[in-house]
Amino acid sequence: MGFLAPWFLGGLAVLGVPVFVHLLRHYSATPRPVSSLMFFERGTQSSIRHRRLKYLFLFVLRTALLLLLVLAFANPFMQRSAADANGHLLLIVLDNSFSMRTGARFTDAKREALATLAAKPHGEKAQIMALGGQLEILTQPISDDAQLRSSLESIQQGDGRAGYGELGRTIRSLAESVHTPIDLHLFSDMQRSAMPANFTDMVLPGNATLNLHSVAQGAPPPNWTIESVEAPAELSDPKDPKHSHVRAIVVGFNTPSADKTVSLVVNGKTIATRKVTLPANGRATVDFAPLDVGYGFNRCEVRVDGGDAFPADDASNFAVRRSDPERVLFVHATGDTRSAAYFGAALAAAAQGSFLLQSMPAEQTTDLDPSKFAFVVLSDAAPLPSIFERTLAQYVAKGGSVFLTLSTRAVPRAPIPLWGAAVQDTHNYARSGNAASVGQVDFSNTVLEQAHPGPDNGGWSSVKIFYAAVVDPTQARVAARLNDGAPLLLEKQLGEGHLLLMTSGLENLTNDLPLHPVFVALVDRIARYLSGSERLSSSTLVDSFVQLRAASEPAGTVANVEVTDPDGRRPLSLSEARTAQTFRLARAGFYQIRFANGRDAVIGVNPDRRESNLEPLPQDVQQLWAGSSSGNPSSVPNTALNEMKNRPMSLWWYVMLLALATVIAETAVASGYMGTQREEV
Amino acid sequence: MQRFLDPKVLAGISSLDLLARTVVDGFVAGLHRSPDFGFSQEFAEYRAYTPGDDLRHVDWNLYARTERCYIKRYRGETNSQLTILLDASNSMLYTSGPPSKMDYARFLTAALFYLAIHSQRDAAGLIVFDDEVREYIRPSTRPGQLARLFAGLEHAAPKAQTDFARPFQHFQNALNRRGIAIVISDFYEKPETIMEHVAPLRFRGNEVILFHILDPQEIQPSMRASAVLVDLETDQRLEVIPEYAQTAYRKKIDAHIEQLRSLARGAGMDYQLLLTSQPLDLALREYLTLRQAGN
Repeated sequence: MGFLAPWFLGGLAVLGVPVFVHLLRHYSATPRPVSSLMFFERGTQSSIRHRRLKYLFLFVLRTALLLLLVLAFANPFMQRSAADANGHLLLIVLDNSFSMRTGARFTDAKREALATLAAKPHGEKAQIMALGGQLEILTQPISDDAQLRSSLESIQQGDGRAGYGELGRTIRSLAESVHTPIDLHLFSDMQRSAMPANFTDMVLPGNATLNLHSVAQGAPPPNWTIESVEAPAELSDPKDPKHSHVRAIVVGFNTPSADKTVSLVVNGKTIATRKVTLPANGRATVDFAPLDVGYGFNRCEVRVDGGDAFPADDASNFAVRRSDPERVLFVHATGDTRSAAYFGAALAAAAQGSFLLQSMPAEQTTDLDPSKFAFVVLSDAAPLPSIFERTLAQYVAKGGSVFLTLSTRAVPRAPIPLWGAAVQDTHNYARSGNAASVGQVDFSNTVLEQAHPGPDNGGWSSVKIFYAAVVDPTQARVAARLNDGAPLLLEKQLGEGHLLLMTSGLENLTNDLPLHPVFVALVDRIARYLSGSERLSSSTLVDSFVQLRAASEPAGTVANVEVTDPDGRRPLSLSEARTAQTFRLARAGFYQIRFANGRDAVIGVNPDRRESNLEPLPQDVQQLWAGSSSGNPSSVPNTALNEMKNRPMSLWWYVMLLALATVIAETAVASGYMGTQREEV
Repeated sequence: MQRFLDPKVLAGISSLDLLARTVVDGFVAGLHRSPDFGFSQEFAEYRAYTPGDDLRHVDWNLYARTERCYIKRYRGETNSQLTILLDASNSMLYTSGPPSKMDYARFLTAALFYLAIHSQRDAAGLIVFDDEVREYIRPSTRPGQLARLFAGLEHAAPKAQTDFARPFQHFQNALNRRGIAIVISDFYEKPETIMEHVAPLRFRGNEVILFHILDPQEIQPSMRASAVLVDLETDQRLEVIPEYAQTAYRKKIDAHIEQLRSLARGAGMDYQLLLTSQPLDLALREYLTLRQAGN
């Protein structure tokens, strides 16, 4: 018992006030007239004694109130022993990240965790967590030993990446609800790569004691792995040397210089092998060209021959889809041949374009089925036959995409097909003599994406716009604006599909965009985005998410998605398949997905390659981490340990509650006295 | 009509004339339903003629039938003399709520005067006293007597202590004719002393009524805490505890009342305790009963 602010005890001097009021002041009662005193007798002695008794109670209440207020300011505390077994929470965290597949690490860690759980005093609460890609809370704090053991045994090896930062955040949030001391036992290989960029992220709260159980003994074993693979997601011509190649980077961690064999395996069959010499702790690049794969989805992997302690990371998965060039429907106004020429030329020149442009005047589109095309371009928003416009709307709702441009035919109040709005106005910049330029470009947008746009606004600053339509940007995302603020490129989602609208044309009459290099890149990205191939990369990482359906699905239309995991099982239930927006790719291997818009995809999923670096946290960092929570008894001073075991518990709140109760009692008693005096008057 | 006799209602009437009329009219209206009371020219009894009787009262019709001479007597045919002795000491100022004992005594006196003069044709007089005689209005039936009596009542303001000795010696001289004497007081004096001075009024054939006026709080004082009490007459102070007021005091005041009643009855006087919360008809009824008995 002590006081956190003992100097406030000087306030006890105010206790003299009630002493003065109650003991030193003489009582004076208001006289009460009577007709005669002939029947009364003096009762002075007993009266005074009685009055003093009653006022003494009020005096005690007032004194207690002042005393409690002074005590509250002095903030009393008492040492609460944290060693109470019933007040402990044993928290067992088992690392099941990808690196735990090394040797017998996971088996050792689980065995140690089970031993720790078995040593737990009966009745003490415990909680089990798995530290994989996401910190998985397997049980609530319970004392059922059988359930705890069952939960611990159910933890399997995973492919995720451990993060001690996430562990620290979870424990800190847990400590806000669990006020008992937490004994945290972490069974892990203590990978250095699991450490967050900021050490404070992994610091544990004050009531948590960290016990590290490292299963990585000695120096980290040498490990070679495929760091990255660069391969096309879609391939239309295997003989095209530009696209048909695979580039892999092989890297070694804590490895000596060695000769390694790197193989390209397609659908389980090794189709190419390369010998490469890796320097010590270095990396090497391996190219496989051409990439000869069959039509459809091909499950490929690049594999480096093993010989290390971590064979699970020797391969890297990716999927390549081979298909014939997809057709793109280009609808233009009669007489407009420039647009198709420029767009077709750019599409053919695009780096990974696998498209054939089929241009057609608007009048001839009546019987066309747009679903046979990768996407549709409506040049100058030409008036369409009503049948085709309706067909096109259904095509978009089901996942198709349309690129619309507005050129000289766009006049005020002219309706824009599919867009749901009309042209508000047109700006003829050429007439005023000052061509507009592109002022604002959203480089985070998919079709304009540039990692490091140059000082010339990513190549857009020299583009001149002579004629542009003004469109209401409501319910659309503006990707680029002119220097006068008018939208140039807008994007809108309609059902499962996308609409992309450029308020100027594709020919060189309304702007000079087709004459600039940025036009080719723009067409390439538009084609990849609208055809859907943008979403399908050849490979991705474990624990990344894939979007299964559009966020704003039209009411009344329910489309099932289908996900098949690397083991051939369907992880989504029927109800989930109807409602799930996204899906977490939790395991390494190939996932086969059918999206809500009907498209199929095969995605190669690989563990995070940082898991392949088996170097553990330095010992001093481990001690620092354990010391930050005063958890490691061997590394923490005894005084700090005692502080943890005997934590001060402030009594301020209880003192204030007592003071409040005293105030109420004092008010009641004092008002009672006042009532008596009024009656006497 | 009963509500017109309620002292709280009467306290709101400023004119004593109106107050007395209200009380007596209400009271008399209630009496008409009673078979036990009658007055004025109502027949009472026959008495054998004796020499010296007034021949006007002989029932000649009866004499004609029986040849015997009888005198016919009536109730109320005899005029009485009412004298009210009103205590106007400071103790009569006490009140725990309207009206005060003094006001109540004024109401009572005014009602009695009205009843006596208007209804009974009695002569009425007033003596206001404390430690000496403050006001004396001789009993009379002259016109304007009621107004004089009311004026005397209006001017009767409590001033000093009660002293029965000196005023009552004066009363002996003033009450030289047989009649009814009513003493209205709170009687804060020893019963023996009171009787010593009041009893001589009876010797001259007067019918004496003692109206003991007390406030309900004087009978059952409610006191929650100790208090300093001040005597209204002597200004003496005394600290009293509630326990005493609730036990010993009540016993003493009850004993005082009982002793006063006993001594009064023993001396042939009527005694009536009146609380200021009680209606005035009790006192009026007492007066009429005594007057009827006197006839």
